[in-house]
Amino acid sequence: MKQLAGSCVIVGMGRSICKRGDPEKKTPLQLMVEAAGLAMKEAGVNRTQIGAVFTGRMPRTYCSLQYNQAVLNELKIMPTFSSEVTSHGAGALGTIEMAVLAVQSGMIDYALCVCGEASPLWIEMVEGSANWEGDLQFEAPYGATTPSLYAQCAQRYMHEYGITPEQLAKVCVENRRWALDHPQAAMHKRGPITIEDVLNSKMIASPMRMLECATWFPGGIGSAAIVTRANLAKASPGKPTYIAGFGQCSTHEWIGERMGFWGAEPVTDGPNLVRTGASVAAKQAYTMSGFNPKDVDIVQTSAPFSFLNVLILEELGFCAVGEGGRFVESGGVDYDGGLPFNTTGGYLSFGQSGQGLYLLKEVMDQIKGCPEGRPVPDVKVGLVHGHGGPNACHSVMLVTGEPLN
Amino acid sequence: MEMSDWAKGLPLRAGENFLGLYQPSPETAEYWEGVTRHEFLIKTCRSCSKLHHPRRILCSDCGEPGMDWVRASGRGKVYSFSEIHRTTGVFSPATPYVVGIVELEEGVYIFTRFLPEEGAPDKDNSSIRIGSAVNVEFQVLEQGMLLPVFRVGGE
Repeated sequence: MKQLAGSCVIVGMGRSICKRGDPEKKTPLQLMVEAAGLAMKEAGVNRTQIGAVFTGRMPRTYCSLQYNQAVLNELKIMPTFSSEVTSHGAGALGTIEMAVLAVQSGMIDYALCVCGEASPLWIEMVEGSANWEGDLQFEAPYGATTPSLYAQCAQRYMHEYGITPEQLAKVCVENRRWALDHPQAAMHKRGPITIEDVLNSKMIASPMRMLECATWFPGGIGSAAIVTRANLAKASPGKPTYIAGFGQCSTHEWIGERMGFWGAEPVTDGPNLVRTGASVAAKQAYTMSGFNPKDVDIVQTSAPFSFLNVLILEELGFCAVGEGGRFVESGGVDYDGGLPFNTTGGYLSFGQSGQGLYLLKEVMDQIKGCPEGRPVPDVKVGLVHGHGGPNACHSVMLVTGEPLN
Repeated sequence: MEMSDWAKGLPLRAGENFLGLYQPSPETAEYWEGVTRHEFLIKTCRSCSKLHHPRRILCSDCGEPGMDWVRASGRGKVYSFSEIHRTTGVFSPATPYVVGIVELEEGVYIFTRFLPEEGAPDKDNSSIRIGSAVNVEFQVLEQGMLLPVFRVGGE
């Protein structure tokens, strides 16, 4: 596994955004194809050089079986290796992992990874969302909503470790501060919030209140990356980003059946609702790269609820198990002086856009010193956490701006 | 006993176009038949007797495919829960209501609706807590489906 560390690079990254109210309303396919074009241009490669295409899961608003085929059909790419990577939102980073394995083996030289969503432009998001996360047979008939599925984990997390509502609210407050600096964030112009604001916001699904739940990104985002071997980086004009380590772990599909899983990490000693695949994915990424949490200068997570942000800090090794609440409370992720965490505003204040590589782009931009929002000084190692399903699938990726020794 | 033909498959259409068959779940048909008789059934492995969620097709402990149905006691404990305040459609008038995961006496966990103890004031769900003892009942919920639900009560 260690031979993979730094063996591959991202030589092109593209992103296309369409916001609600823009003159042209774009489909996910348009956004993804535009992003792919930008990534290929930045990498200096043309369609005939691309040997593999990996897409995330089919967007909700462009349902087409064999979605990856629809993408390559548009771009007129003829890959020798290609697939849709569908572990919910964790599949976005999964596309990069597939790409590394494909190019590092020598089968191909360049892989295109492309993901996107534009649901809020086209459909009513609240109606029907639970049916994408919940079990239609054993959960939906009870009136389960998406927040209520995650809340099963939140309730146990607070119960088992004594995590307080104030500690969870703190992470929402800090996320919002970063969003005020980020021009694309959903909450960019909404002003700061306080712990009291969070605790006084409407209850959605206990123990979670409105300001503790992700907001939808008010539009669509397509994002794309070109991955190649480090020894081919010189052929591209820009500065490469090195893929230092990665990991992925899925622990269930439906939350109501999670308690039927045990016997391997992260539920070796028996089933529970409080440990996640993120710890397994992180362990693999750290081992592969040789880095540890102390080496990490910036973290992005796709955690859609307050409690999951706090829990993920434990899973990624930034504090001990059960200490997430106290870590956040004591300034661990403070906008001023804490670990730079969710520097776009995170899912809570930047907004959630299905699945994509836009959090990876934020880390790459910060490493290169050209972020859209507030710059973090001296970023050498960045960590991106991808997640999807009701706490079901987790990916972790570590990237750097310099080659690994 | 007259069994519904759950395995028939429902045609999926996009406008005029036939897309394929949606296959319902023949492996859980007997669970739902049990519900109509107000019996709460779970699965047990014919080879190793391990008890399972009603959906299991293959025993995740011993790998054998043979499953039998057994009647569960209907007693359990609240393992986790959430009181829903915001939702859409037919469920909206029922808020706040509580969904969660029940830990059955038999060691199997299943998603359900929790009801507060008998005699609780209307919409007062405060008796539903982690660890509360619960018993199965059968109720027609908001979508018109008869479902097993669990009410707080007993030791």
